[in-house]
Amino acid sequence: MKNIINYIKKEQWSPYIAGILLGIVGVLGVWMSDSLLGASGAFETMAGLFGQAVAPALFDNVYFNYIMPPGLTWGMVLLLGTFFGGLIGAATSKTLWWGKKGAANPDKQWKRIFGPQTWKRWVIAFLGAIVVEYAAGIAGGCTSGLAISGGMLLAPAAFIFIAGMFAAGIVTTLIIYRKHY
Amino acid sequence: MTEYIIALILGVFFGFSLNKAGLTKYRVIVNAFRFTDMTVLKFMLTALIVAMPSLYTLRALGMITFPNVPATYIAGNLIGGLIFGVGMAITGF
Repeated sequence: MKNIINYIKKEQWSPYIAGILLGIVGVLGVWMSDSLLGASGAFETMAGLFGQAVAPALFDNVYFNYIMPPGLTWGMVLLLGTFFGGLIGAATSKTLWWGKKGAANPDKQWKRIFGPQTWKRWVIAFLGAIVVEYAAGIAGGCTSGLAISGGMLLAPAAFIFIAGMFAAGIVTTLIIYRKHY
Repeated sequence: MTEYIIALILGVFFGFSLNKAGLTKYRVIVNAFRFTDMTVLKFMLTALIVAMPSLYTLRALGMITFPNVPATYIAGNLIGGLIFGVGMAITGF
């Protein structure tokens, strides 16, 4: 029992153990709710909810009316839970650095490549996140919603997506890191 | 209501597993593209290996039906994947 508690407190688990946990969660999602895990879709339904309240004409299109209808969806609640799950994970490994110095940009490797400025990390993350979410909209899902959830149903879309993701990721990293690669 | 409670609980375990696997760290994501840290692949593929046979067995036993499988449209999946990879390498999320 003590070993289990100590393991839970570890900052980084074996990826195999964490992967088994994710696999079980994925199966339970289908079994109990007939739903697939995902993250990007929830942001879209949230954007649709917000957009239809602020600019109804702009959001009155096929995408938000039929493909991603706004509303309080299963995925949005899941995303809320994901937030708290990450929080609990960090709290158990004592890496929950509320307002601690350097907590806004803790990654040494990032600083070595891009420089020490925290604002730079946040601006790049914000712009990059727009790219990520836009791409997830085109592909029909993100790493969790398409690659993992689609993959476990053996959907061809998932494997095409994974191939594209890794190809572009490797090339982009090569360009960013150049001689540090 | 029950559906939302299930979603919340599963979400907590989902986020917890991502955090403990280290996928919330920039270097873990980006180093997968540099072939210096295979955590992302080990994690994702383990999840797939656990879930695939479980789901297909449960379906064969008639205990579940599959939800809508993500649609295959090669151009969209591929182009989306390519742009997604660029964003992922930039942000590390």
